Amino acid sequence: MPLVATDAIVLHAFDYSESSRILRLATREAGVQSVLARGARRAKSRFGTALDLFAQGTAQLYLKEGRDLQTLAGFDVLHARPALGADLGRFAAASALAELVLRFGTVNEAHPALFDALAHALDHLATAEPAQASEAGLAGAWHLVAQLGFAPSLGACSICHADVRADGPLPFSHVAGGVLCAGCARTHPGGRTLPSAAREAIATWSGAGRVHGLDAREARAHQRLLREFLQEHLADGRLLRAFEAWEHGGWSAP
Amino acid sequence: MSAIDELAAELAKLPGVGRKTALRLTYHLLKQPPETSRRLAAALERLVERVRRCSVCANLTEEDPCAICGDPRRDRGILCVVEEASDISAIERTGEFHGIYHVLGGRLSPLDGIGPEDLGVQQLVDRVTAGGVREVILATNPSLEGEATALYVQRQVGPHVAVVSRIARGIPVGGDLEYADGVTIAQAISARREM
Repeated sequence: MPLVATDAIVLHAFDYSESSRILRLATREAGVQSVLARGARRAKSRFGTALDLFAQGTAQLYLKEGRDLQTLAGFDVLHARPALGADLGRFAAASALAELVLRFGTVNEAHPALFDALAHALDHLATAEPAQASEAGLAGAWHLVAQLGFAPSLGACSICHADVRADGPLPFSHVAGGVLCAGCARTHPGGRTLPSAAREAIATWSGAGRVHGLDAREARAHQRLLREFLQEHLADGRLLRAFEAWEHGGWSAP
Repeated sequence: MSAIDELAAELAKLPGVGRKTALRLTYHLLKQPPETSRRLAAALERLVERVRRCSVCANLTEEDPCAICGDPRRDRGILCVVEEASDISAIERTGEFHGIYHVLGGRLSPLDGIGPEDLGVQQLVDRVTAGGVREVILATNPSLEGEATALYVQRQVGPHVAVVSRIARGIPVGGDLEYADGVTIAQAISARREM
């Protein structure tokens, strides 16, 4: 059984048997992996606090082909992200990013760009002011969507590919995967109307940029649009629970 | 479905028990005298009939209120908030805490669909606002989810109580600094106390 050392980020963890944990990792070399960390819950575990959510480091994995659950031999934490638990908005947004990679990332297949985009997004989120956490989460999520190859079409009609005007609101179809020209909008009703500022924001986020001055109402509208888009294109009808919690969860207590 | 498959299927629903282990346990029981299985079945029956949640703190108990809530010697001014009822046993084993408890029933976990409304936070707020509580100790696990849960609870109960404290984190007793990871050492240093 080959021992593989790879950069990894802990995305999900749950207890298994008396003292072990099952982790779901995003790895640079082997895509998304589910691993068993034996004894990880013991106070003097060799894994220490490395196995906390969103921690990044070098994982040593015993990978066996055809097995769903691999074995974690070690995890040298290089970068913990405790700040993501110090603000509820950051925590909810980070969980949504984790869900995005867990649900739509490839298993057993290297995707270094996706891994780097995730690491960058989590870092950005960890240092974002609480009031900017939604924007940082949206930026990270749309960049991940772009890395997965599902960025929406914003500069041309997603059905007939005709150029669309850059100013003013445009119809946006989740099913078609982007904006629609006036002609196609008549034959494909439904969807939402996106102002030019919202389209620019999504294009900026998809290219790993940042958008300043987004207010809470706009952020919520973007979160809803993103969830609907993901559910249409990636989710197989299954609920995106972390996205739902991020959007509706009432995380911002008084 | 045969009786063997039926029991194995039920056992396989338990956490940490896969299909192979479930079958192994089933065959193990079949090798034992019938009385062993009957005692197990009777114990399960009694468990379901007798054990319930304490209506005050949500601890698991056979009496309502539970032995801790009903004990007049406990200090009702200090309330310790834990994730699960099993955490109470761990704290009680130390013999160092003489206050009362509140069990949240989990921790915030968006990926598992567990939000604030799924935890017993409102019951906690009701207990605190009823008066008599001087301090709330947040003893959720020192994980990222536990920290987020503690933060949420602190925001909810903070306006209603004089002191909200968090259990300390750091190097375990008997541990060795040389082998502790950087995160633990950093937390131990930031949470240091004056001697």
